[in-house]
Amino acid sequence: MKTLRYGLLTAMVLAVVAMVAIACGDDESGDSSGEGRGDTIQTIKDRGELKCGVKQTQPLFGFKEADGSVVGFDVEFCKALAAAVLNDASKVEFVDASNAATRFELLASGEIDVLIRTTTITAERDAGRAVDFAQTTFYTGQGFAVHADSAIQSTADMEGATICVQSGTTTEQNLDDHFTELGFDYTPLGGEDAETQDAFLARRCDVWTADQSNLASRISAFDNPSDFRVLGQIISKEPLAPGVRDYDSEWKDVVNWIVHGLIYAEELGVTKANVGQMASNPPNTTIARLLGVAYEGGAVADLGFGVDPQFLQRAIAAVGNYGEIYTQEIGNNIPRACTLNALAIDASVDCPPGKGGILYALPYR
Amino acid sequence: MTESEERLTSTTAPTERHGQKVVLPPHRQRAARPYQVRAANWLRINLFASWDRTLLTVISFAILGSVIAFVVWFVMSYANWNVVTDNRRLLLIGSFPHGAEWRLWVGLCFVFTLAGASYGMWSKLGLRDGLFIVIGSAFALFMILHETSQAWAALWFGVAVVLLSVGYLLCRLVPREEGPTRRVATRVLGLLLALSVPIVFALLMAGPGGADANELSGYLLNLLLAPAGIAGGILVGIPLALGRASSLKAISWTCTAYIEVVRGAPLIGWLFVALFILSDIIGGDLIVRTMVVLAIFTGAYMAEYIRGGLQALPRGQYEAGHAVGLPHWRTMQLIILPQALRISIPPIVGQAIALWKDTALISIILPLRELVGSSRSAIAQGEFITARIEVYVFAAVMFWIVAFVMSRVSQRIERSLGVGQR
Repeated sequence: MKTLRYGLLTAMVLAVVAMVAIACGDDESGDSSGEGRGDTIQTIKDRGELKCGVKQTQPLFGFKEADGSVVGFDVEFCKALAAAVLNDASKVEFVDASNAATRFELLASGEIDVLIRTTTITAERDAGRAVDFAQTTFYTGQGFAVHADSAIQSTADMEGATICVQSGTTTEQNLDDHFTELGFDYTPLGGEDAETQDAFLARRCDVWTADQSNLASRISAFDNPSDFRVLGQIISKEPLAPGVRDYDSEWKDVVNWIVHGLIYAEELGVTKANVGQMASNPPNTTIARLLGVAYEGGAVADLGFGVDPQFLQRAIAAVGNYGEIYTQEIGNNIPRACTLNALAIDASVDCPPGKGGILYALPYR
Repeated sequence: MTESEERLTSTTAPTERHGQKVVLPPHRQRAARPYQVRAANWLRINLFASWDRTLLTVISFAILGSVIAFVVWFVMSYANWNVVTDNRRLLLIGSFPHGAEWRLWVGLCFVFTLAGASYGMWSKLGLRDGLFIVIGSAFALFMILHETSQAWAALWFGVAVVLLSVGYLLCRLVPREEGPTRRVATRVLGLLLALSVPIVFALLMAGPGGADANELSGYLLNLLLAPAGIAGGILVGIPLALGRASSLKAISWTCTAYIEVVRGAPLIGWLFVALFILSDIIGGDLIVRTMVVLAIFTGAYMAEYIRGGLQALPRGQYEAGHAVGLPHWRTMQLIILPQALRISIPPIVGQAIALWKDTALISIILPLRELVGSSRSAIAQGEFITARIEVYVFAAVMFWIVAFVMSRVSQRIERSLGVGQR
């Protein structure tokens, strides 16, 4: 009987404790529901730091240096966002999103505020996952690399070739679709990203396929880049864009217009060097609006972003315009031939429309 | 005249050992023959007793020799160790803030002093421990000084090793018998050991200029997460083990449920809990949540090992406690737990080593770049893309060093507590 009484007593105590715990848990989650979901801008401001998910293993885009610092094209956009929201480009925590399989989970769990990690926009991701995509920062496509002494010029020469491709990716599917269309046989050699690279270097395959920017960036980091050739041909569309959580349009607007604004700044000739001078003495209303300053004694146009109107000015001052970021981080590793000649066949797509590319900045007004 | 020389010259005279004359009994007189004869005899008995054993010996030595030759060739000639030496900062301390390295060194000095003191207090450094310390220090100094003038770092490391020796020697001076001096000394040392994990965290992170939680990465992160997980695991495990053994069904069922649920899912799954569920419940930095998950996970295993220790004790031990009028909790504290924990030491250390190695899983799920994650960054560098094996070999060796130390320390604890002897 005594045991039974003790048992019942313990059960009641435990039940009460559990109820209290659940109640407290609810309270806390109620407090933190603003954090991470819905109001990312306020979360960032409260935290005083932007949490940016970047790759740490891809040279040129997101890469951790031997001294522990993180650099790359994607990283500059994180800094631009931190400058825009927090007025300090150094207030970024670079969270490791190198693992492709868990990147969207990081976003969903609130561990990062924005994912800038060479992520391709796809309908499935946009619709099926808790991610919204902002304006594309880099247009690329699936390309091919061969050894410099190879006779292969395009997929038309690849009948019966062995092709290194990362398993379980859209790249693999694209390749299969393309070769089915051509009616060619080929031998896929699958593996992890780095394994395909090793196999290609060891000549276990004739061709290496991946995003063209990925191929170029990795080959650029080799000791002897001239021993390899990236073919001009592209067989898929791979628009790489920043991702934010679903249902947070204020934050998505900021991310979106940071990208548009940096592209527009290049078009308008606003650079890191002259942005201060242009802000104090804007040459026209367009630039004045972009930088959030008054033109000829008029009023400052507040377009209703969740941040103050000067956010683009700070972003440009921190990292420069799109072209400057490209030159600094990617440079000639992936040549960016923006020419005025619209017929220039070598022109890269990552150029303004008038210069052979498709980087079409929306009007900022 | 040394002992061996003496053995060579005098075959029947009493041997002198530790200042005492030892007269060997007749059946051991054989051992006093010249060592060449003894060696030949040993070889014949152990390696070349018959033609088939000789064949086995030759084959084994051929395999062993080729493995050693391969390792030497790999280490000395084939491997490109620049991937490790150029990236040692990235691999070892990752993004730790530049200019705050002194905090790491102070932390290392603290840990080394504690280790030396504990060894001096409860055990004795053997020849193999000394050899390990010498080789380990040489390896560390080589890493520090290779191709750069890091005199300050070398000095810091030297200070840490000196402190290790000083701590050891000071504690050797404490009398081995129970007494007021020893009681105070063990209490102080025990308290410092119990608080060592928070103290190290404070040394690294407290005050202005300290590291942010997200700046802890590389090998340092493994070294911080594993002890926190192990210590937390023991703290969680003891009450769970007692609870499971409790006669109050509600408590016993709750504890059993906890243990079975936690042990039923792999660590990788629980790491997702750190990412998704704990962020809503306790919030805070991911690194803290990871420690909580490691403690929760390890605790379930520890509880089972401790329960094993509890059940190994004869009923008489409980009854003896009750017979002298001790209340239940005092019986536990004074009689049962000390014995149960002593029995459980081998599996507890086994779990600690397992958890230490499991920290390599963290960067698969979580955005925390411990040693393996940092290794991936290192081999993404253009000049080292083909040096993947070297980095992973280095990571394996770094994991092995700590696992080996833990295993040695556990043997020492077992010996000084007399595990397996009673």
